[in-house]
This record gives sequence, C-alpha cells and structure tokens, in this order.
Amino acid sequence: MAKILIIDDDPDLIDTYLIILTNNGYEVSSALNGEEGLVKIKNDKPDLVVLDVMMNTDYEGFDVARKIREDMKLLKLPIIMLSGIHEVKKVRYRFAPDETYLPVDIWLDKPIEPDVFLEIIRTTLSDMPQQTG
Amino acid sequence: MATEKSDVVVLGGSAAGLTAAITAHRQYPEKSVVIIRKEAKVLIPCGIPYIFGTVGTPEKNLVSDAVLDKNKIKLIVSEAEKIDTENKTVKLAGGDEVVYEKLIVATGSLPAMPPIPGFDKENVWAIHKDVEFLRGIQNKLKDVKNLVIVGGGFIGIEFADECKKAGVENVTIVEFLPHCLMLAFDEEFAVEAEKIMTERGIKLMTGVKVQEFAGDKKVTSVKLGNGEELKADAVIMGIGAVANVKMAKKSGLKLGPTGAIAVNRYLAASDPDVFACGDCAEKISFFGGRPSPLKLASIATSEARIAGANLFGLRRENIGTIGVWGTAIGDFALSCAGLTESMAKQAGYDFVIGEAEGPNRHPGTMPGAKNIKVKLTFERRTGVLLGAQMMGGSVVGELINVMSACIQKKMTIDDIAVFQIGTHPALTASPIAYQVVNAAEMAFMKTKK
Repeated sequence: MAKILIIDDDPDLIDTYLIILTNNGYEVSSALNGEEGLVKIKNDKPDLVVLDVMMNTDYEGFDVARKIREDMKLLKLPIIMLSGIHEVKKVRYRFAPDETYLPVDIWLDKPIEPDVFLEIIRTTLSDMPQQTG
Repeated sequence: MATEKSDVVVLGGSAAGLTAAITAHRQYPEKSVVIIRKEAKVLIPCGIPYIFGTVGTPEKNLVSDAVLDKNKIKLIVSEAEKIDTENKTVKLAGGDEVVYEKLIVATGSLPAMPPIPGFDKENVWAIHKDVEFLRGIQNKLKDVKNLVIVGGGFIGIEFADECKKAGVENVTIVEFLPHCLMLAFDEEFAVEAEKIMTERGIKLMTGVKVQEFAGDKKVTSVKLGNGEELKADAVIMGIGAVANVKMAKKSGLKLGPTGAIAVNRYLAASDPDVFACGDCAEKISFFGGRPSPLKLASIATSEARIAGANLFGLRRENIGTIGVWGTAIGDFALSCAGLTESMAKQAGYDFVIGEAEGPNRHPGTMPGAKNIKVKLTFERRTGVLLGAQMMGGSVVGELINVMSACIQKKMTIDDIAVFQIGTHPALTASPIAYQVVNAAEMAFMKTKK
C-alpha cells in the first residue's frame, strides 16, 4: 500500500483528500505546515507528497520543496504541488515544475476534481521505479 | 445579454488562433468563423525581445488585423470566461454568449515564474505578451544600468542583446547549465554563441544558480549560488512558458501530462466538438512520442493548420514536434532541428555524426561570404536523419527548414548526399563543398567504421 503525505494548512481539505485517498487504498498521513511535514517525511518515509504553497507564509511550500530535494537529498520522492496561489494572488505568470528553481514533479491548481487528482496520483506512483526491501 | 452564432469559434488571436481561423476559412469557405480574443492588439510573439532594441516600440511589432477581413473572419474583442460544452456556447465577460458548431481553443501560454526568494520584488519581470506591459518595461529600462537575465535560452539571449542595443550598460545572463543554449545545441555551438555574446558586451554567468533577489521593496542585487552578488536594477525572467488552461480546466476539458489541454493526433480535445492547438495544447515528440514541453510559434501554427482542417472531417494528422529553432546574435545565426548529438545519446540512439564547414559563396572571396558549419545526426543502422545544427551566416535560418522537412520525411544519408541542389557563386556554397551534402557524406564514411 503506497503511503501519501499531505502537507496543507486547511484541515477540511486534508479531510477530503484523506477520504478520497484511503477509499482508494492509500495509506495517508498529514501535516498542517512545512516544519511538521518535513519531520513526517523523515519519520514516515512516504512514497509521495502532496504539498500546498501558502501556509504559515505565502511561499512556504516552495521552501519545503527545496528542503526536500537539497537538504534531505530526496531527489526521487514524488512531489505534487497543489495550490491556489495563482488564483489567490491574481498573478499573470505561472509557477511550474523546474528542476533548478521549483523541484517538484507536478503542479496542480486548486480546486481539482477527485477523479483527476486520483488519476494523477496513480500515474505518478506508477512512473516511479519499484522499491524493494 | 446578446447571443451570437458562428459555425466556427476560435478562442485566442495570436499565432495559433489566427492561423486556425484562416485555415478553417480556407478549408471550409462556406462556414462562418469568429475569433474571440481579449487583446485589442496582438503582438508578434517571437518579435517581443526586438521591441527593446531593433524594432523600437510594441506598436511596430503587431499582427495586422487586415488578414481577418481578407479571410472573412469576424473579430470579437472580449474575454471568454467559460465554455459550456453541453450547449456549445462560449460565455464572455459581460454576459454575452457565442454559440458554436465547432470550437478551437488557442489560449496560448503565460510566462513561467521561478519562485526564487524575492521573485515578487519590484522590477523582477516575467514577460507578458501585452502591449501596455511591454511599453511600461521599455520606459523603466531607460533608468536601468544593471540588468540581470535569468535563463540563457533563446529568449534570454535575445533579450540580452536587444537590451544592450537599447543602451543598458551592464547586461548579465545567469544560466544554471554549463553553457547558454544547451537545451537546443551541442556544446561546440553553444560555446561559439557565447563567444559572440561576450564580444557584444554581454556578461555570462553559467553553471550557477540564482539564490535570491535581494533588495528592500525593489530588487537591488541578485545573489548567486557561488557566493557572488550581482548589482541589479531590474531582472528579466527567461525560463519559459506554461500553458494557459484556466478557462479550459474550468470548462471541464481534460488536461494532459504536462498540464496543457489533452488532444489526440487530430488535435481534438476531450469534447467531440472542441479542438485545441498551440501553446495551450499538449504536444508529443516526433521522436518516440513522449510528452514534449516545447512551445514555439512555428509549432503552434503547424498545429493550427491541422486543427482548422479537421473541424468538419479528419484531414490532417499531427506527427509530433520536431523542434525547429533559429536565432541571431548580430550577424551570427544559429539554427537547429530535431535531435542534437547529446539528445540522441540521451534518448539511446545508435547514431553517426557528419560535419562540414565552409563559405556560403564560391569562391569564398565573393562579396557577402560567411562561414557556415553544419552538423547532422543520423541513426546508424537505417541512416535516417535525426537532427541538424547550423551556425554562421543568416542563411542557416532558412536552410534549417529544409533539414526539418528532411527529418519529417525520414530522409537518409544517401537521400541527402545525392540532393539535387541549385548553386550560384553570389548566392550559395560551391556544389563541390555544399555543407549539407558534404556533412551527409562524412556521416556515410562513419557508418563504415
């Protein structure tokens, strides 16, 4: 059973994801901010992280992504960034996965349809090399 | 609230939208065609860097609307807010509606913003395709002495050269890869381009990452990963673009693996009466069919000619993105099509390389002679052309399109070696030393090793 960690400051949203994902056979844990999320990544060793951007600070999720890759050296842990920042800040540009400056695998704008979200989780996990041991 | 009807409705009026509308008219002249676009004036996308130097103003870089009348295309300037696919209706800002029989979504892309700490400071610019925005930047550039450009791809180097021309004293490109242009060219081509850029007064910082945009409210410096700090009155982001799919997503159209609108080989989207093309649509590579992130106006127009033709019956098929580029730094031009040597290696091809170099006139003492270097990559066993790179005189900007056609038609070493070429002392290289032909011959020799 694949383990998914959701890092998002919205408890209602976490509950929603939790129901969707557990109903589909995933083991789900959650964190309400980046700091807590990084601890859970270290301890729980999730197979995939769903990461919000705007939490304690407007750009907290960006820092968390960088820390996962640069400090924790988890280069292959799939990160799906799921955020409403484009809509909230009404910006005319877009953030997007970038190996150098935004080291996540997929960017998704909130809100997202549950079936689309599940399909992306499934595809992302199936694209990962199989772990043994 | 007014309701209008049109057989074909195209959302977006830039390269893809306009070409799709013209194609729809040419293929189905009995059908009415409407373009809905939010911009009063449409910029020529590839011409945007040249606004700052060579061309001079955004107004001199506009797509003429005369082509709309000529092709009987009606223009509605308004923002499309949602597509009601069930009732085949586009809802516009302000409440008006347009009912369609077939719809083409060509909403383009938005600039990518890397979330480097400090990216939201004043004078850190992602380039929008918007006349007012660009005029604003042009005015601000008059007070800029130190400009940093993040990204050494085509956009980055073109902006650098044009801003230098516009009088900015210190222009620095910061590129994370070991050289500029490395996502499009092999190292020896990138190194030549860098030499020319340096000669033209552009400072290059390669193999280094931007760590932070520093300053109070406004950017004053750029901190780099190697500990250096560059003074900066302004920063231009040149790291690419992201599909503009907000409305498509809201309307229930399926998105694909790169976040663009999912389309099939006929450019049909997930709704049977909706097509998508250009930067907002998913692309697959010509080489192997994997998702491709490339976004170019030339790809957009090719796709638009497919989407426009397929509206009322499938006539054209998308064979995937080859990736054909050209650029110029002063009178030095570079161009490429398909796979470079390093891309072929990475993709796992067994390949041979053929190279040839020489003047583009004969004899080389003829007026206007420039050196041209050609590098061709062929699959070893079949001899099929995988890619071409060229640099030197400006003719390589057109010659690469010939090579793209060769790639598209899967031509081989032998096909190219026996090209029937037309030559003239004042116009071309010698028929004995014609670079493309000779490069194929050189590759042939390597297949025998």
